[in-house]
Amino acid sequence: MFVDKGPAFQQLAAKIADEIVAGTYPEGTAVPSATDFAVFHQMNPATASKGVNLLVEMGALYKKRGIGMFVAAGARDLLRSQRREEFRKQYMEPLLREARVLEIDVAELHHMIDEHEEDET
Amino acid sequence: MSAVVSTVKLHLNQRVGTFAVPLYIAGTVAAFSVLLSLLFWRSGSLPGTAGWIQGSQSNPGIAYGLVGFLVYFGVASVATTFPFALTLGATRRSFVTGTLLWYAITAGYITAVLAVLTAIELATDHWFAGFYIFDVYILGAGDLLRLVPIVFLGVLTALTVGGVFAASWVRFAARGPQLIAAGVVVVIVTALIVALPAVSAIVDAFQPWWLAVAAGVVILASSVGSWLLLRPAIVR
Amino acid sequence: MTNAIEIQSATRTFGRTTALDGVSFAVPEGSICGLLGRNGAGKTTIMSIIAGQDRPTSGRVEVLGHRPFENESVLSRISFVRDNQRYPDNYRLGHVLRIAPEFAPNWNADVAAELVEGFRIPTRTDIKKFSRGQLSSVAIVLGLASRAAVTLLDEPYLGLDVTARALFHDMLLRDYTAHPRTVLLSTHLIEESEKLFDRVVVVDRGRVRVDSDVDEARDLAFTLSGTTAAVDELARRHTVLRSHTVSGLKSVTVLGAADDAVRADADGLGARLAPASLQDLVAAFGEEGSEPIEEGARA
Repeated sequence: MFVDKGPAFQQLAAKIADEIVAGTYPEGTAVPSATDFAVFHQMNPATASKGVNLLVEMGALYKKRGIGMFVAAGARDLLRSQRREEFRKQYMEPLLREARVLEIDVAELHHMIDEHEEDET
Repeated sequence: MSAVVSTVKLHLNQRVGTFAVPLYIAGTVAAFSVLLSLLFWRSGSLPGTAGWIQGSQSNPGIAYGLVGFLVYFGVASVATTFPFALTLGATRRSFVTGTLLWYAITAGYITAVLAVLTAIELATDHWFAGFYIFDVYILGAGDLLRLVPIVFLGVLTALTVGGVFAASWVRFAARGPQLIAAGVVVVIVTALIVALPAVSAIVDAFQPWWLAVAAGVVILASSVGSWLLLRPAIVR
Repeated sequence: MTNAIEIQSATRTFGRTTALDGVSFAVPEGSICGLLGRNGAGKTTIMSIIAGQDRPTSGRVEVLGHRPFENESVLSRISFVRDNQRYPDNYRLGHVLRIAPEFAPNWNADVAAELVEGFRIPTRTDIKKFSRGQLSSVAIVLGLASRAAVTLLDEPYLGLDVTARALFHDMLLRDYTAHPRTVLLSTHLIEESEKLFDRVVVVDRGRVRVDSDVDEARDLAFTLSGTTAAVDELARRHTVLRSHTVSGLKSVTVLGAADDAVRADADGLGARLAPASLQDLVAAFGEEGSEPIEEGARA
């Protein structure tokens, strides 16, 4: 088993991505600067820039020279589709592995999910 | 150069110590002298008589009071101020130069204070009551031309001697002052061994300016010693 | 990028003790570098030498391109308050704040005032009577308000409460981004500070064990844990820095990056593999060479 939260700049990028997907930073609006992120999360400013730049390279954020950093149009869909791929690795694999250890078979797992959904709604 | 001036300011930063404490000491000594004079008076001595004047002028209290403080001051100026000066970014060179400059300023200040007080004492006919506090033998018996070099060189000697002891402590910890003390004893005893046969001739030939020369030698030796000790000193 | 600090094969001996043994590392200009290691590893000695308060017995140290010892122009651009800093007799906070600008050309009184207020440093008490945390606070005020090109912070966390630590981080990062400088921060409290760094230098017993980018430091070591048999089997091909055994279970920190092969092997043997945190790494180097620690022996 390999659990790795990744280096700090990836963790920051993931946090910002979460906020974009959740709608905290709507498309077209400004996000805090790398410096602000650095101060807020009490992390190294160079590391914070690296994290923000990761999202720029990905196309989720873009720079307006002299003004700041903005959420790109389509950023939510972009990040969501990427997160879907990660969902399998991050949630499905551990879920199934743990289920195997606890001897929960697939049918029972389906049932548990359905049951949980009903409780929620 | 700027760090030299900064070092002087660092020493002057303790304003109370530099400017007020010598005044307190002069005041305290004055109070004691007055009490002592009153004691003489009650025991039968009369103000203005030759015996009274002779007794009062022989009182060296002012010198003792100041010397103790000044040696401590010299020690503190190096022992605790040196590490802090290095922390602030002074070089050892600028620290030693600035400290010597500050010694001279302090000596000048105390000289001026005592000169003014002595002048007042003389002008008021010994505080209108025949009290001899500053017009004493050890300060030149009211002769300002003698008081100025006596006080200036005396203060400078006390400060530089305190400084060199502290510098040896900064450099070699407890062993430093012990080594200096041992060295001084060796020098004095050697000098005595050489000079003893001629001691009465020397005493007869004694001139007050010899003391000034001696003070100059001590000041010079202490200053050079401080520099040599502090130049490679480190702070741990 | 030019280096603000360069140390080459610096050795420092005090009598028969060797405090630094061939230390070499460089800190690039504008970096916030962590100087990590156990107490007595040599952190303060390194900083003393960088700040010109001490000289290496052999080797070479350059700060901003010059040797710092007795160099007035370099010293005016360095700030260093040692963890056990002494102050002149009868000093209070006011004395420090009055004289510091005299020696620090970039001194900023607003930064100083904000920190003094935030840390609640007493103004009417002699510094001699200050608590450990209050002494650390004074050192931080001197370190940050000086805005020195090379700022050395020696164990800034000692005695600081949570609020004060947050204030320190906040002020350091805000003022650093407005006025970039090179910061070298020594500490043995790694989890507290590791997010601040872009570089880390780990020292142990006077030697540099790690000198790397903080992101790369993650690939320097990893930990393996599981049954003693499995871990021993996996660790055979690696340099073990530190190991820890408790009745049939073992955990080891090994040098190097975990590759896919070792990951697959670990999976196969039912052992857990995790990257070593900076804290693990420093602890591992701090323990290396000593006997493996048994659970019972430690208590």
